[in-house]
Amino acid sequence: MSRPTTLFGEHAAAAAGATGLPKPNRAGAGADQAPARAPRATARRRGSRTYGLARTHPLASVAYVAALALAALVLADPLEVVLLLGLILGVLTAARRLRATRPYVRLALYVAVFLAVLNPLFSQGGLDVLWQAHLPLLHIRLTLQGLVFGAVTGLRLATVMLAFALYTVVLDPDDQLALMSRFSFRSGLVVSLATRLFPVLQRDAGRIADAQRSRGVELDRGPRRARAVARVPLLAALFTQSLERAMDVGSAMTARGYGRRGRTRWQGTRRWRAGDRILLVAAGVAGLALVGGSLAGAFHYAYFPLLDDPRAALASPWWLAAFAALVAPLVLELTWLRSRA
Amino acid sequence: MAAIARLEHVTYTFPGGITPALHDVSLEIGPAEVILVLGSSGSGKSTLLKAITGLVPHHHGGTFAGRVTVDEFDTRSAGPQEISARVGLVLQDPENQAVMTTVEREIAFGLENQGVESRAITRLVEEALMSLGLSHLRRAPLETLSGGELQKVALAAVIAMQPHLLLLDEPTSQLDPVSSEELLAAIRRLSEDTGATIMLAEHRVERCLHLATRVVYMEDGAVVVDSDPQSFALWAVAGHRELLPPVARLFAQRLNGQAADHAQRGDLPMTVKDARFLLEETGRRVQAAASPPARTYGETVLQARRLAVGFAPGEPLLENIDLELRRGELVALMGENGAGKSTLVRHFNGLATPLSGEVRLLDRDVRELSVAQAARGCALLGQNPNDYFINDTVAGEIDYSLEHMGFVGKERNDLAARIVADLDLVAVLRRDPRELSGGERTRVALAAVACGDPALVILDEPTRGMDPLHKSELAALLRRWAETSRCVLLVTHDVEFAARTADRVLVLGDGGLLADGPVHEVLNGSLFFSTQINRLLRHALPGVLHEDEVDWGVSLQ
Repeated sequence: MSRPTTLFGEHAAAAAGATGLPKPNRAGAGADQAPARAPRATARRRGSRTYGLARTHPLASVAYVAALALAALVLADPLEVVLLLGLILGVLTAARRLRATRPYVRLALYVAVFLAVLNPLFSQGGLDVLWQAHLPLLHIRLTLQGLVFGAVTGLRLATVMLAFALYTVVLDPDDQLALMSRFSFRSGLVVSLATRLFPVLQRDAGRIADAQRSRGVELDRGPRRARAVARVPLLAALFTQSLERAMDVGSAMTARGYGRRGRTRWQGTRRWRAGDRILLVAAGVAGLALVGGSLAGAFHYAYFPLLDDPRAALASPWWLAAFAALVAPLVLELTWLRSRA
Repeated sequence: MAAIARLEHVTYTFPGGITPALHDVSLEIGPAEVILVLGSSGSGKSTLLKAITGLVPHHHGGTFAGRVTVDEFDTRSAGPQEISARVGLVLQDPENQAVMTTVEREIAFGLENQGVESRAITRLVEEALMSLGLSHLRRAPLETLSGGELQKVALAAVIAMQPHLLLLDEPTSQLDPVSSEELLAAIRRLSEDTGATIMLAEHRVERCLHLATRVVYMEDGAVVVDSDPQSFALWAVAGHRELLPPVARLFAQRLNGQAADHAQRGDLPMTVKDARFLLEETGRRVQAAASPPARTYGETVLQARRLAVGFAPGEPLLENIDLELRRGELVALMGENGAGKSTLVRHFNGLATPLSGEVRLLDRDVRELSVAQAARGCALLGQNPNDYFINDTVAGEIDYSLEHMGFVGKERNDLAARIVADLDLVAVLRRDPRELSGGERTRVALAAVACGDPALVILDEPTRGMDPLHKSELAALLRRWAETSRCVLLVTHDVEFAARTADRVLVLGDGGLLADGPVHEVLNGSLFFSTQINRLLRHALPGVLHEDEVDWGVSLQ
């Protein structure tokens, strides 16, 4: 039987009237939260071919990423920071994972711009005043030093974020688990399971929200409080499903012998290669140079009251040693790729 | 030959359960057998397999009586960890059995647990990858694999452990016909090449009855039939024809009761090939049954114009989709895994926003409506019924939906009463929906989305894991709804179900709509998206899709 005239009946009409609807639909509310597995799969990295840092032994890659992160934390000179940022982007490109870092790059840019814009308003030191204004409660004094400090601080934060993003998107969690399992298999397994199941949980949450929308529950419109209240029951469904999934995963693990005595550790098919040794040595050299340079004050850069000459720091032997060590594996990788092309 | 596993008077009740999930089950499982375990949802198939692995009772708890032995191990004293060296288990949902994040590590996981040394693991992982054609995916993250690939990885992970007995719990229920065929071919190869014993729990008999050397049929936790396939077929002909493959049903429905003779002679066909031989032998004396009168359809409920859908602008998954759905139609939307079927229907109630083009639901642009508003015109039932359950009772679920759809007073009560009657939910109204069987849960979830009497009802893979009896009931319900001038759109991989239920079929592929036409035109002559009966009779009776459309005009003898 049909009810065409009452289809979006009184309730919908009232809701529409109250909120000024019809409006354009919310931007795909829920639409992009739970895409089907296979179409998404086609858009993502698959296959066994790996490149750059993703191809190297996990111990070497972890050491190298740690050295990059350390560099991002200790370097303060604007030119050094820019060069390091370029190097990290180069490493991501060589591993063919630059695209995967888009969300991190976007976030890093937001943060960098936010800091670059706000910082000069609060860092009012510096002698080169560009502009100033006296407001009733606020005295704004924009200086060249404050501007540069804000911009470089934003850039440094972006560099640190990308260094850690490198760890997330390039290094294989199972390789990390294998590495970690030398010390504690259970902890490593927890990390691996969390890594694998987090996207599954996200998909579950998106699906449950869509299921509720599809039965008339308004999750995307109305007052914030009402929307929050409407979402609370979803947590119960998510929790129940997560528990059931955990039970199933537990069954599957047990049925494959998990918990049995005498567990061995598979070394994997990754062998130590010359490139891995070079990477490990390079990471070690860079780490030593960065620690040594920091202790020796070689990476200090003064923004106030006047800017130091950024070129001066580039001549520091600590910087040269650290940067050469960090850039060498990338140069070797690119040479290797060109020789294969 | 000595048995690999033996069950002696096993009775088991889950914790908090009232009736036993297994009731006095006794079985002896020999080497190189391929045992097909059949039974409706909740009949105890999965529990039986778990009892053999020792997961029941060790992992699940509950009350266990009787004895299960696997080789020299008694599962009462040996845990599933010990048994895992002898018995491998592949579960229904591949998503719920993966532990690691990449393919080769996933395969190595069980071997590490068994204490196999590293070099041997490398070799066994390699062999498992090769045997299932997964070498190119060895380092692929599991989250990037399709359901079929993930299920193959699960199988590879188990066969790498070289079990004597391989247990498969509805391994194809989540897969499309092509992926299912690939997985079953791999299982058959495994059985033929290694002589491993395989126990396969399945609902879709047409896919696997011919692989079996023995059939176990369960009801209410008890083994009702344990015999060779032909004896099972003889038993099924007498009152459980839905358990037979369509070609066997075709021969079983012949006039003069000669089907039983066929079965007794051992020639009731299980495959298209067997049936074709039999037809040749008997002179192909079949004819098409009288077609039902053509149905007429009502007004348009949904219209898509130049629709492009996808996850990123400039990268459409599907484009140039033009279609119209009308009242009274029962339409099946088909296509391989990843073709974009589920993605497409999410645009019909506004869950997703088109990249370009327009969807009009009862002449309203869907973009003007919230999903909640669209719910009164378009009910969309997703693949997992559990996603809908947030109340403690079935009645609560229905009331919750009606309240949110804005129905009040008598209208609300009338709609609730109608959906309860339509979906036969009276007996379970006060029960927790999460505690119901699979088929019942699907019906409750359907009630939750369709209680507002929508003009369009969309069901995404409703027959996944559903037994034949529940499928028949669902097909009858959907037919009834279509006849009462609703439009029903089924997203399905189940060709036999689509052929029996739908009037019209849409096939998606290659980024667009590949076919759109009457079911008898679209499913006729297809390689995989076709029924057994059509593959058997497509030359003699083009367009015939299932056995009810065939008449045995002349006796075969």
